[in-house]
Amino acid sequence: MTDAILEQTLNGLMMGSIYVLVALGMVLIYGVMQVVNFAHGVLFTAGGYLAHFFYTRVLDSYPLAILLSMVSLAAIGIAIERGIFRPLSGNLRNQVIASLGLILAIENLLVALWGPNALQFKVPTTEMLVSVGELRFSVHHLGIIVITLAMVALLGLFLKFTRFGTAIRATSQSREAAMVVGIPVERVHWSTFAIGTMLAALGGALIGPLFLVFPQMGDVPLVKGLAGILLGGMGSVPGAVVGGMIIGVVESVSTLYLPTDYRDSIAFLAMVAILLARPQGIFGVRMRGED
Amino acid sequence: MPRAVTGILLLALLAVLVAMPRIAAGEPYVLHVLVLCFVYAIPAVGLNLMLGYTGLVSLGHMAFAGIGAYAAAVMMVDARFGFWSSLALATLAAGAAGVAIGVVCLRFRSHFFMIVTLAFGLVLHSVMNNWDEVTRGAAGFGGIPRPSPIELLGERFSFAPLANFYYLALAAAVVVFALQRLVVRSDIGRVLAAIRQDERLARARGVNALLYKTAVFALGSAIAGFGGVLQVSFLRVAAPASFSLAESINSVLIVIVGGAGSLAGPALGALLFVALPEYLRVASEWRFVIFGVMLVAITLFAPRGLAGVAADLCRRIGGKPPVERP
Amino acid sequence: MTRLVVRDLRKRYGGIAALAGIALEIERPGIYGLIGPNGAGKTTLFDIIAGGIAPDSGEVLLDGRSVTGLPSHRMAALGVARTFQECRILLEETCLDNLLFAAQRKDFVATLGQFLSRSQAARRAQRAEAMRLLQLVRLEDYAEVPAANLSFGQRRLLEIVSTFITAPSLFLLDEPASGVNPALLETLSDFIRTMYAERPSVFFLVEHNMEFIMSLAGDIIVMHQGAVLERGTPQAVQASPRVVEAYLG
Repeated sequence: MTDAILEQTLNGLMMGSIYVLVALGMVLIYGVMQVVNFAHGVLFTAGGYLAHFFYTRVLDSYPLAILLSMVSLAAIGIAIERGIFRPLSGNLRNQVIASLGLILAIENLLVALWGPNALQFKVPTTEMLVSVGELRFSVHHLGIIVITLAMVALLGLFLKFTRFGTAIRATSQSREAAMVVGIPVERVHWSTFAIGTMLAALGGALIGPLFLVFPQMGDVPLVKGLAGILLGGMGSVPGAVVGGMIIGVVESVSTLYLPTDYRDSIAFLAMVAILLARPQGIFGVRMRGED
Repeated sequence: MPRAVTGILLLALLAVLVAMPRIAAGEPYVLHVLVLCFVYAIPAVGLNLMLGYTGLVSLGHMAFAGIGAYAAAVMMVDARFGFWSSLALATLAAGAAGVAIGVVCLRFRSHFFMIVTLAFGLVLHSVMNNWDEVTRGAAGFGGIPRPSPIELLGERFSFAPLANFYYLALAAAVVVFALQRLVVRSDIGRVLAAIRQDERLARARGVNALLYKTAVFALGSAIAGFGGVLQVSFLRVAAPASFSLAESINSVLIVIVGGAGSLAGPALGALLFVALPEYLRVASEWRFVIFGVMLVAITLFAPRGLAGVAADLCRRIGGKPPVERP
Repeated sequence: MTRLVVRDLRKRYGGIAALAGIALEIERPGIYGLIGPNGAGKTTLFDIIAGGIAPDSGEVLLDGRSVTGLPSHRMAALGVARTFQECRILLEETCLDNLLFAAQRKDFVATLGQFLSRSQAARRAQRAEAMRLLQLVRLEDYAEVPAANLSFGQRRLLEIVSTFITAPSLFLLDEPASGVNPALLETLSDFIRTMYAERPSVFFLVEHNMEFIMSLAGDIIVMHQGAVLERGTPQAVQASPRVVEAYLG
């Protein structure tokens, strides 16, 4: 039995890593721009499709395909921020509605270009196995966890110790104060968006080989990522990491006790529970009265 | 537009719609498309009250239509209830779900409401797909009957024929649109508009925003449920795909492009996004790419949608200045 | 009559004490001014009295009854009305509709009851009152104009008059002169006096504009570092060395 729990825990860490990648991007964007980017799901999906495209049509290197996909999505992200989110800045409702339009357009564009059926994404790392005690996992599974942790560390160092990272933190605390100090707030906005989309693309590119590449593949990670952010605390970066991992692990372990069909409900129940019990999340600060 | 003119135009429209079964006698397809139009316009009215008038962005609206649809299906097929009681109960069930969700998340900032409705929609869709014993799973819940026949003027009126169901759908749509107007033009409507424009100000002026928001969310969800029951009774089958995230986004599309916060918006939107595509039959995916781009464009350049553009045009013709958007 | 009692209110934001045990009493109608250097805690005090923000400790009593921490809509129902520093009105609505909204009943059950009784007389009376108030602030020509089309000074007047139509017993004005064209200030002053004359209640103004508040208020309360520093007539307060020091030091 403990073997099963260990196996599911590792599975959970892997899925949790994917959720963390999605959550990190969204929490950064939320912190800096006060916007929940609901289009993050389709950007994740697009990352998967582009990685698949680059790998099967252009290069033969999975890592390079991932990189190219991330760079492409960064460019798309910047275009979205400047063309859509910036003009609508200050109007959350319209920003969200516009992102719904993006979801429609991008998801169906992918269907129009690649068809409605799922694509197989075969990479060598899914075949190579590694032993952890009595269990065996593919290099891909463990790689996802390692890469995500590396990304989290990199991001943490970047935010804490570089000048631009500090600018991002400053802007997310107070836009006005940041402007007063001379921080190029507009540049912070689009770079943060680019970082966010790159992380989403990475997530899509990493999960593709495991669960196929299909047009709705980003829907569920979007919600799980949001659940992770809610759990960790709306504006908190460490919260996004912890929250995402918790959701992943709890989900996976729950499959030992509940029918697998309902594992997606765990994230929703977690959301409801957090809102009822501790709305500011694990790392959040108590919210001030009204508005 | 002067009241009299709008009134006359509406009556004319109504007359045409009532006469449609005779006008389109040889082409049942026209009636079929119009029924679909009405059946999609009804949930859109619910969303318009929520989103257009009160500013609540629900990202899982069609899940509530699904609650109505599946609740009615189970009641009619498994529990052998009659259609009309199932319709009433299913509508209430959808409304109750709205209250439950609203109570959880409406007291926080709007982000939470959007996130929770999104998650709720996805979970419900997953339940519809997986809970085979009750919902019959991904294959869909078939065998849903048309409304039970009623006694009208001494005659037995069955809803199996298309034309008869058409009248029912038309009547339902008229009732729902009338309800929308009643709410919007009332004191409640003014409060909802205030909540949308500046909730903090509304509260300072005595509005219990949480209560009003929950009430309108429950009403909008109930209306969605009502539309859901009609939809599956018409098609005789309930399928999870009709209540997916994509469909919820579609309902937002209908409301926003049609004109959020306008009485005619849901009708214009349904006409544009339900009737027109049925006629044009452009390749399905590109159609939605275009719709997505339209939604983005409307939000950027014409946030009041088609109805807003039409209203501005009328104001210009009437010599009045256009309403400035703050 | 409204008696406002504030007792030992404390409020911290992070490490900063916005209110440090402030206490004050207002027991008769009048125009009261609340002044003090930036960061003295004036808006925090207003936010707590008007409702929506709960203090860390302490009490607010209205006519002897504790209203501490009540949400703002409940305070409004008790007769407390406020304006905002940044001037909040419904920009998409016409001036008349802004006033009608302010005047109409807000209680949910009562608004539902509207469908059962069609009281045309009450509506006409409300409309007439709204128009009268618009005339008072010389905005009657803008009755059917969306508020977004008004200048800032006009919006400020609209906001004040929207608050006044609710016949509050405690009228909180948060920096009404801020952002208003100096040429309009005397008009604004006159309107406040006219409104007070029409319905004397407690008018409590936060202000930075000394000339404006000193000529308007009869009783000035000076706040400093989250507590009351000094209180008295405009002349007394202006002459007080402690007040001068607080502002300069």
